[in-house]
Amino acid sequence: MPALDSEPALARRIETYLGQQVGHPVQVSGMRRFPVGFSWRTFGLSVRGLHGPDMETPLILRLGSDAGLFAPYSCRPELLALRSLQGSAVPVPEAFWASDDASLLGAPFMFCSRMDGAAVVPWVSPSAPPLEEGLRRALAEQFIAALAALHRLPWQALPVAELAQGISAQNAALRNVALWEAHIQRWALRPYPLAEWGIRWLKAHAPVAPRVAIVHGDYRTGNFLAQAGRITAILDWELVHLGDPHEDLGWASLPMYRGGSPYLCRLAEPEGFYARYAELSGVAVAMASVHYYQVFSLLKLAATHMAATRCFEDGRSNDMRMPAMGSQIATCLRQMDRAIQKGPSP
Amino acid sequence: MNNSFPRLIDGVCATLRSEVLERISDEYARSQVYGVINLLNTFKMRADWSSGFLLQQIEAQRIALAVATEVFTAAAPPTPAPAPPVSVSVSVSVSVSVSVSVSVSATPQAAPIADLLALRDEGNRALSVAGAWLDSHGGELAPADAQRLAGALQAAMRAEVEIELQHSPRSMFAEMSGAAEL
Repeated sequence: MPALDSEPALARRIETYLGQQVGHPVQVSGMRRFPVGFSWRTFGLSVRGLHGPDMETPLILRLGSDAGLFAPYSCRPELLALRSLQGSAVPVPEAFWASDDASLLGAPFMFCSRMDGAAVVPWVSPSAPPLEEGLRRALAEQFIAALAALHRLPWQALPVAELAQGISAQNAALRNVALWEAHIQRWALRPYPLAEWGIRWLKAHAPVAPRVAIVHGDYRTGNFLAQAGRITAILDWELVHLGDPHEDLGWASLPMYRGGSPYLCRLAEPEGFYARYAELSGVAVAMASVHYYQVFSLLKLAATHMAATRCFEDGRSNDMRMPAMGSQIATCLRQMDRAIQKGPSP
Repeated sequence: MNNSFPRLIDGVCATLRSEVLERISDEYARSQVYGVINLLNTFKMRADWSSGFLLQQIEAQRIALAVATEVFTAAAPPTPAPAPPVSVSVSVSVSVSVSVSVSVSATPQAAPIADLLALRDEGNRALSVAGAWLDSHGGELAPADAQRLAGALQAAMRAEVEIELQHSPRSMFAEMSGAAEL
């Protein structure tokens, strides 16, 4: 089991590191690990002295430890994305210090600004009350607008262009499938013929992207903060890449994020979502591509659950939610199979 | 299940020690947790997964691969078909020369769980090999045979996940996210 420092010890290492960065001593207090997520560990902390001797600066630390399900980690993609989106119409935290050098804090890390707000979770009891109608509509509009702004962004001159590596509208889908096929080969504890069948289907039906855009990769309820009816930040950019914008539509429309409601991500009815997105993004939404990326997303989600079972089985984590995720592999593969059989919505 | 039984027991015990006991000060509650750990360690030494759903999955594979045997042995492709990359031999074997053939033996009714898990995995590999071959060379079969084989393979793949889901409890993701019983 890889051991990270205890929180007090980590706080001392942070003080040393940040002190070196700013050239004078700082003090860390209020270290608190947030329980959300199975991948990067997220801590809230307060740093005194960063911007003046008596000034407290609230920060978020993201730490990519070997106990995370997608380990080994690099802070690079998320850092590039946040720096590219700073000042854009996509609300994101400001990225500060980051490094993949594990000798500094025990694992790759990134510090960023702490944003106000709370997450709207996707997994709720079927008996839970729906979101209040006015709030739902307000969040839906901003959720769609932020996604459209992300996909509109001319990324070629931004830091995130570092992720391009030969991507084109023609090869975006197949590159993505190849990446996740390799992940499945690395993570699966046993053969899954239905997953392999799904991969063959994806290779045989790959669409051409309408444009190459920045793709969040995990755009859904649970990965944004909201306060007083306003989305304050889109979070969790670890799966960001360049690709077909339909990919984020496919992911956001997965049934497991509807929370028992008829709404995509508990927020927007599907037709309205696609229409408003097309209006704001300028992307002519192709339902065949949405369907393709729904199939892809269900395979990707199954792969994510395989990563959790692998992480647990290899002894990198004792987080009991990880083997519980393993029971969802069959659910995802069954939904993927059904999605293929059903075909695209008209 | 996807994780091994002993690893799950070890993980539960480690989590109870490091994440639960560390946060419980009530003596009676702590004694109950130690009782649970003791019981789990007993399970680790004496218990294993139930064979029931594994036997069902293996039987579904056997039916599909029996169809594959019929189709492949009846087929006479006009040109030699390339061999699949693996050959499987447990209760299922896949080999290809001029045609593709699959031999299938009866599903065992009693065997150690480790053997059943291995058998299930071998059967899945055979299904994948047959499926990949069908996708790339299905045109060499009579259309009706190709359709019959595709249906049999899909039935077995679907049966595997259906049987697994029939033996899975309700997901508690909402509780795991919200840390409260719903």
